[in-house]
Amino acid sequence: MQGLNKGKVLSWTGVLIIIALLPFILSKYTVFLLSLLAVYALVALGLNLLMGYTGQIAAGHAGFLALGAYFTAIVGTQVEWMPCLVIILMAGIFTGIVGFLLGIPILRLKGFYIAMATLAFGVVVSEIILQWSSLTNGDDGFQVPIARIAGFSFDSDFKLYYLIIFVTIILTLFAKNLANGYIGRAFIALKESETAAQTIGIDLAKYKTIAFAISAFYTGIAGGLFAYLITYLSPDAFTIELSIDFIAMIVIGGMGSILGSIIGAVILTGMQQVLAGLQNLQILIFGFSLIIFTIFMPRGISGMLNTLLERLSLAMRSKNKELAQES
Amino acid sequence: MLLQVILSGLATGSIYALVALGLALIYNTTEHVNFAQGEMSMVSAFIGFTFFHSAGFSLPVAFLLTLAVSAVLGIIVERLVIRPAMRAPHFNIFIITLGLSIVMKSLAGFVWSHDDFPYPSIFPNETITVGNATIDMISIGNIGTTVILMLMLFIFFKYTRYGTAMRAVSHSQNAALLMGISVKQSFSITWAISFLVAAVAGILMAPVVFLSTHMGMVVINGFAAAILGGWGSIPGSIIGGMLLGIIDNVAPLYLPSQIKNVVPFMVICIVLVIRPKGIMGIERLTKV
Repeated sequence: MQGLNKGKVLSWTGVLIIIALLPFILSKYTVFLLSLLAVYALVALGLNLLMGYTGQIAAGHAGFLALGAYFTAIVGTQVEWMPCLVIILMAGIFTGIVGFLLGIPILRLKGFYIAMATLAFGVVVSEIILQWSSLTNGDDGFQVPIARIAGFSFDSDFKLYYLIIFVTIILTLFAKNLANGYIGRAFIALKESETAAQTIGIDLAKYKTIAFAISAFYTGIAGGLFAYLITYLSPDAFTIELSIDFIAMIVIGGMGSILGSIIGAVILTGMQQVLAGLQNLQILIFGFSLIIFTIFMPRGISGMLNTLLERLSLAMRSKNKELAQES
Repeated sequence: MLLQVILSGLATGSIYALVALGLALIYNTTEHVNFAQGEMSMVSAFIGFTFFHSAGFSLPVAFLLTLAVSAVLGIIVERLVIRPAMRAPHFNIFIITLGLSIVMKSLAGFVWSHDDFPYPSIFPNETITVGNATIDMISIGNIGTTVILMLMLFIFFKYTRYGTAMRAVSHSQNAALLMGISVKQSFSITWAISFLVAAVAGILMAPVVFLSTHMGMVVINGFAAAILGGWGSIPGSIIGGMLLGIIDNVAPLYLPSQIKNVVPFMVICIVLVIRPKGIMGIERLTKV
C-alpha cells in the first residue's frame, strides 16, 4: 500500500464511518439492498479477476455462487456450533477448489471454448443441485440456518449488513493488492498475449488455474453471504441468465478494474430495483448496454471516469503552465 | 425400437446441424463466435408466423418472404453491431453477440409475447412405415431440407465467385484485401447467409417444439453439435448435429430420463476434455 498520505487516510475513514452509519438512517429494505449490492460486488470482483484481468470468458459464475450458497446452507445445518465466518471461509475454499479443478481441463482450451465449458459447468451444477435432493432438497428449496458466531446471531438484515460489509471490504482490499501485485500483472500479461507472457517466463498453466481458483473463491464467499441474506435457496435462482447478468455487470462497470466491479454491482442492484415490475424491459436494457458499451466504451464506466480524470488533470496542468508562463 | 429412436434422433439432429452450420459459416469467414444464432432462428420463425397468421399469406409464400427478410436482417445486424467492432478483439464480439441475443429475445417478447404458439409445418403430417419403425413426413422433410441446404452451401463455397472470395477472406483477411476482395462485403454476405440458415432452422424447428421466445436456447445444442463435429467445419457441423440428435434421443433410454436437459452440456464437457478439436476438426495454428 504505497501513497498512504494523511488526506487519503482521512477520506477513507470518512467513507468507512458513513458505511457504518448508513443502516441507522436508511429503511430496512434499503439496508437489505445494500447487502445484496455488496454480495454482487464480490461476485463482480471474482469475475473481473478472471475475465477482466486474464481475459477468459466465464459464463458459469451462477454455478459457483450456487456452490457457495448450498455449501454454507448445508454445513450450517449439519454443524450448528460452527461460527458463520468459518463456514463462509470454508465455502469459499471449497468453491475455490472446484474452480481450480475446473481450471485444469480448461487449460487445454482457448477463447470461446472456455466460455462454453464454463457455461456447461454452470448448468451442470444447478442440475446436480436439482437432482441430488437427499442433500439439497431439490426442487423444494433449502431453508438457510441463521448465521451465528459464538452465541451471537445475525438474525436481522441490520446485523447481517455489518457481517457482509466487513467481508466485502476485506476482500476488496485483498483484490486490490492482488491486482496491483505480481499475480495481477501476470494476469494482465496473459490477457495481452499468452505466447508473449510465456516467453517472459509466466507459467501459463499456473496462473490460469490460479485465476480460476481465486475467482471461484470470491464467488463462493459471495454465495455463502447470499445464502444468509436471502435465507431460502432454490435451484432455479442460479440460471444461465444470472451468469449473463454478472458478465453484463462487469462489462458495464469496467473490465479489469476494482472500482468497475463495484460500479457494476451498483448498477445491477439499481436496475433490478427500478425496473422490478418490468423484467422484460430490464433484460432489454441490459442487452443493449452490453452491445453499446462493448462497441463504444470497452473499458466500461470506470474506464470512462479514468479518461475523464486524466483529461481534467492534463487540462489543469497545461493551464497552470500557461499561468506560470504569463507571470 | 432403437431404429425408431435413431430416426427421430436424426430429425432433431438436423435442426442442431443447421444451427451448428450457421455458427460455422460465421466463424469461417469472420472468426467470430455468434451467441445469437439461436435467437436468429427464433426471430425468423416469428416473422414467418406474422406473415401467414397476421398477414394471411399462404405457407410457402410466407416462408419465402421470411427467408428474404432474414437475409436482409442479417445484413442489418452485421452493419449495426458487428462492423463497428470489426477490429476489436474476438472477446468483444462474443460479448456483443451475447448482448444481441438478449436484445432479440426481449424485443421478441415485447412484439409477440412470451407465450407458446402452435406452428404449421410445410410438410404433410403423415407417417410412413419402414420395417418396424414408423416415421413422420415432417421428420423426413426436416432431414431432407438440411441435407439439400448443406449441398447448396457446399456448391456455393466451392464453385461460385462470392463463395471463393469468402473462403479467401477466411484464409487471410489482409491477403484477400490485397487481391481486391472486399472483406466488408464478405462479412455482410456471411451474416446474410447465416441468418438465412437460421431462418430455415427456425421454420423447421417451430412445428416440433412450438413457437416461443425460448426457442433460442437451441444455440446451446448448436454449440455442442459444432464442438462435437469439429468447430468451424461444415461437414463436421452436420455430422455433429446428427450425432447429438441421436445421443439426445438414445440417452434417456439407458440413463435416467432427466438426463435429457444436460446432454448437450455433458457432450461439450466430454468432447472438450477428450478431443477439443472434435470429430472433423482441424488444429488451427496462430501466428504470433
